[in-house]
This record gives sequence, structure tokens and C-alpha cells, in this order.
Amino acid sequence: MRHPRWPREGARRAPSMAAVRALRAAARRSPGLGPAGLRALWGRRKEGREVEADGAVPEKEKEERSEASLIRPPPRRRSYVPPQDLQSCLESHVREVFGPAVPEDWQQAPLQETRLKHRLLARLAAELGHAVPNSQLHRMRRAGDVLGFYRSPVKDGTEIDELVAAELPPNLKIIWQQ
Amino acid sequence: MIRAGAAALRAWSRGRGWAALSTEPPAPPAAPEPRKEEPPVLRSCRVPVLSPLSPVQAWVGSLRHPEDTLRGLADLHPDVFAVSPRLDILHTVATWQRNYKRISHARVRTRAEVRGGGRKPWRQKGSGRARHGSTRSPLWRGGGIAHGPRGPTSYFYMVPMRVRVLGLKVALSVKLMQDELHVVDSLEMPSSDPRYLLELARARRWGHSVLLVDTNEFPENISAAVEGLKSITLIPALGLNVHSLLKHQTLVLTLDAVAFLEQRLLWHDTRYSPLVPFSLPHRDAPGAA
Repeated sequence: MRHPRWPREGARRAPSMAAVRALRAAARRSPGLGPAGLRALWGRRKEGREVEADGAVPEKEKEERSEASLIRPPPRRRSYVPPQDLQSCLESHVREVFGPAVPEDWQQAPLQETRLKHRLLARLAAELGHAVPNSQLHRMRRAGDVLGFYRSPVKDGTEIDELVAAELPPNLKIIWQQ
Repeated sequence: MIRAGAAALRAWSRGRGWAALSTEPPAPPAAPEPRKEEPPVLRSCRVPVLSPLSPVQAWVGSLRHPEDTLRGLADLHPDVFAVSPRLDILHTVATWQRNYKRISHARVRTRAEVRGGGRKPWRQKGSGRARHGSTRSPLWRGGGIAHGPRGPTSYFYMVPMRVRVLGLKVALSVKLMQDELHVVDSLEMPSSDPRYLLELARARRWGHSVLLVDTNEFPENISAAVEGLKSITLIPALGLNVHSLLKHQTLVLTLDAVAFLEQRLLWHDTRYSPLVPFSLPHRDAPGAA
């Protein structure tokens, strides 16, 4: 009688030694199923598809832009340094925009009316090259608030740039490519 | 011998001629210079703002020239654009948007569904092996799965309408307070070249992705320009949703879209609870008249 553990007729058998040796040799020769192998198999097809889909931007610019943004993304803000004669410049603009309705202390001039506010802020932005961002517009209620805003400088770098430039202890190294 | 890249050869075959074979990168078309001394575009809120709240504001620019950003000043309703930043509501609504459409089709066979396994493989006692009743029990190799997925499973659930509305308000407020919201008088462009739009976004430092929102009809130039681009999306104001707002870095609204959003989102603050679902026609709904 057959032992119950005897393999059935259709069962899979272990590969012979010769077959195993042949398989191993073939795996060594071909790139295999690793990332290099898959890239060799599928890589070219993907590149072709991408170029055809987004043909607006030429290939060179795309590569440069992706490399540059990987190393360091473009800064979101423009740098601004307040000029020396900021107060007098601001005062002259306020008097120009408000005309005879300027109160005693020009810094208390109210900016409630949208027309005057837009005129003043657009002129200042055109002259100083730095506009009040949308998130701060509702805080500009008087000319004094505008003066306070334009006094603060804006840097376009990140804190990591500052760290790199600052004096570091000897056992701390920061590598930040620019 | 002329060396030409793949893109240049394709342009040549399309009939662009010798100009297509130049190796310098083509410059984006120049926009017309901005005209001086135009009256400013000022927009005030149609829905009255009750004290002590005061409206928030945003510059009104235009897409006609990259430098044309300070054309006017728009007042935005604080109950839509200056809501407190409820990140938990953003999470709720964004997760709901991902999951309510999900139907998982994963399904595995149980021991009853796997082929075979009806007979007891060997007798209960005396063979020396463990006792088994079927060759397809979960203990066996090739057997059924005990507590596996039994799809199709639906993950549908609804979040209350007022929470979804609040999610939109919070997302808009967050975009404004992070300087990622811009208002534009209309989406008219001088050319339908996608490179002009990319150049404009780069010059104004808008970020990697831009979401343009307008009501109903879009001008031809902008739809043609956006068609070829993947990082700039154009949607109608009805299609505004929290997931798209979070996915794109910058949001650009037209004045019409701002009015539409304010009207629709503020209506929910003062409406009656529905006796009948809102999908049926209502007389006082904002979009009805």
C-alpha cells in the first residue's frame, strides 16, 4: 500500500541539480528583477511617454529645473532692505495721497477707505519694490502700521542658510549646497 | 551636418520648417506693456459684514502681464476668508473626500469556497499525525483564509454639510493667511502659450502648483494654455474642494469666483434645516434664482 505522504501524480517535484545550476547562471548574466533590471526593461518606454505628454517645456529646461529645485528650491519671498529715508519718503507719499485731509500726526491717518489705501500702498510698492502681502493687508489700518511693516527687512534665505553662515562649534558640520 | 533633437525633429515634421532646428531654447512670447493710469479695481463685500468683524483684503492683479499685480484691492468676507484655522476639520473633510468613494474589491476564498477539502484526509486516531478534518482549512497550505477581506466593501459615509462648508472656509482662510491666495480680475491672457503661464508663475513666485478658479466659462487662451500643463489646473468654482486646495500650492480666484463662493458658503450660516433634501429644488437656495 502506498504511504499517505507519497506525492501524488500531478505534484511538483524539486528541480534537479543541473537545472538549479543553469538557473543560477542565467540569473547572474541577466540584470535580474532588481531596480536596475526593471529600469533597463521599462526605463526607455517611460521617458518617451513623458516627453510626448508634456511637450510644452523643452527637455533641457526641465532637467535643469528639476536638478536646481532638488538641490535648493527657489525662494518664495524677495529680499527687502528698508532704505535710510523711509520715514520721510512715507510721509511725503501720505501727504500726497490724502491731500488736505491729513491729520496732525500723519501716522494716525486712517486707511479705512479702499481707494486711498490702494493708492498709497500701490505707490509705496512701486517705489520700494516690496508690496504688502495679502495676509498683512487687513492689519494696515493706519499709516503707522504701514511704516512699521516697511521697517522690517525680509530675507529670501532659510534658517539653514543663516546657520551655515553663523559660527558653528567645531564638531558641527552643515552641508547645504547652493 | 545639422544635429537636431527629438523635439526639433517632431516640430520639423509638423511643418515648422528651419526655425524648428535652432538649438537655442525658445523664449516665451512677450506680453504687452501695462498701460498706466487705469482706475483701480475695488471690490467690496456684497454680504454685509457685521461688527466687530472687519473684512480682510487682497490685491487684485491680472494675468495680462507678469508685473501686473497691484491693479486693485478686494474686500473679502471674514466669515469665509478669516475663519479660525481648524486643522481637525481639514483632516476630517480631506479624509472623507478620499474614502467615501472607495470600494475595495479585495476578496479571498474561505475554507468553504476553496476547491476540494470535503473528505477527511486520514483517520482520526492511529496514524501518528495531527488530526484534521479537511485539506482546505486555514491551517493548511493552499487552504482558505480565515478572516480575510470579503469584498466588495464600501467605505461610504457622509460628513454633515455644515462641516464640509466649514472645511472649505478653513482651507480658504489658511491659503490667505499663508500668502498663497491671489485674486485676479479675470483669466484673460495675451497668448495661449503654456510657457507664458509658467513664466508668469515663476516670476510671481507662486510655487510648484497653481489652482485657477473661475465661474462657468473660461477664456479660450487660458484653457488652451492649461491643457498641456500638469502643474497648473483650471476648475470651475463649483468644483472647489479641500483636497485640491491642499494639493496645489497656490490658489488664484477671479472676482466672480470670490463673489460666488462668499454667497454660497455664507448661506449655510443662516439657512433653515432642510425638511426635504437639498438635491430637490428649493426656493431660497442661493443657486436657485
